[in-house]
Amino acid sequence: MERQKLNEKESLEIITSMISRTRNRLCMGDGDLLLLWGYITVCVATTIWALLYMTHHPAVNWLWFLIWIIGGITTPHISKKKRIKKGVKSYTDHLSDGIWSIIGWCALICTIICLVFLLFFSKDCWGMMLVFALTLIGIAEAIQGLIIKEKILIIGGGIGLTIGLITMACLIADITLYANWYMPLFIVAFTCMMIIPGHTLNYKAKRENERA
Amino acid sequence: MKELNPLLHSQLRLAIMSILMNVEEADFVYLKEKTEATSGNISVQLDKLASAEYIVVNKSFVGKKPRTTCRITDIGKEAFEEYINSLRSYLHL
Repeated sequence: MERQKLNEKESLEIITSMISRTRNRLCMGDGDLLLLWGYITVCVATTIWALLYMTHHPAVNWLWFLIWIIGGITTPHISKKKRIKKGVKSYTDHLSDGIWSIIGWCALICTIICLVFLLFFSKDCWGMMLVFALTLIGIAEAIQGLIIKEKILIIGGGIGLTIGLITMACLIADITLYANWYMPLFIVAFTCMMIIPGHTLNYKAKRENERA
Repeated sequence: MKELNPLLHSQLRLAIMSILMNVEEADFVYLKEKTEATSGNISVQLDKLASAEYIVVNKSFVGKKPRTTCRITDIGKEAFEEYINSLRSYLHL
């Protein structure tokens, strides 16, 4: 390859060919992080819903922290594994990482604010976490969908965002979010926002890999 | 007419630079797969590009396996853009 003399047209062909080879394609496991967070959230929400139904004890709400603990521990491991497997970091990856880092920090700040309100002022504002989880994550997912041109992410993000805005309206209008109607809605939102898009991305990646 | 940069006017080096212009960083295995060149040849060309400060090569370990990642530098980007401009003038584009 090295010794061959190049002419200008061949140079141009090499450049064009390499650009097309590095074009962003879906990789197996691209939907794994969505699936991880989606399934953890849905499982924890279902458990809390069941426990609330059986015990009527508000303390079971502390179980929401399980999402943070399991997701926080597993995410870096999966991300690193995915990056090594892919062998490349594109500018799209860089943007996506940036978006989800901002969301992660926002989640942490929201949690701290809620804890401070509860511990120092005895005020319960955990409803904000529900609004956060649905609106901000919904927006982030829709933006990611626009970046990687995946409609399912835009639709999923849009559904989450809409349910998040409904939640916000309920909280502002002092409508109590009773577990018997709100929890199923929350579970449906996360299924549409993360589980369905996650499986769709992995299925598409599998199909692309088979064709390649 | 401006002379084409001899460091870039080579099939494999040009291929590597074109890939690195298009991504933020790429590892050795990825470059090998996309350029379809041999490991030895890629190593030699990476060394040449790194000594010209066109790319930065990072060597690390993932578990027990070594991993080499490359990313283009600002000098490399400038050189590549200049090379494209010279190509344009040669081809009257």
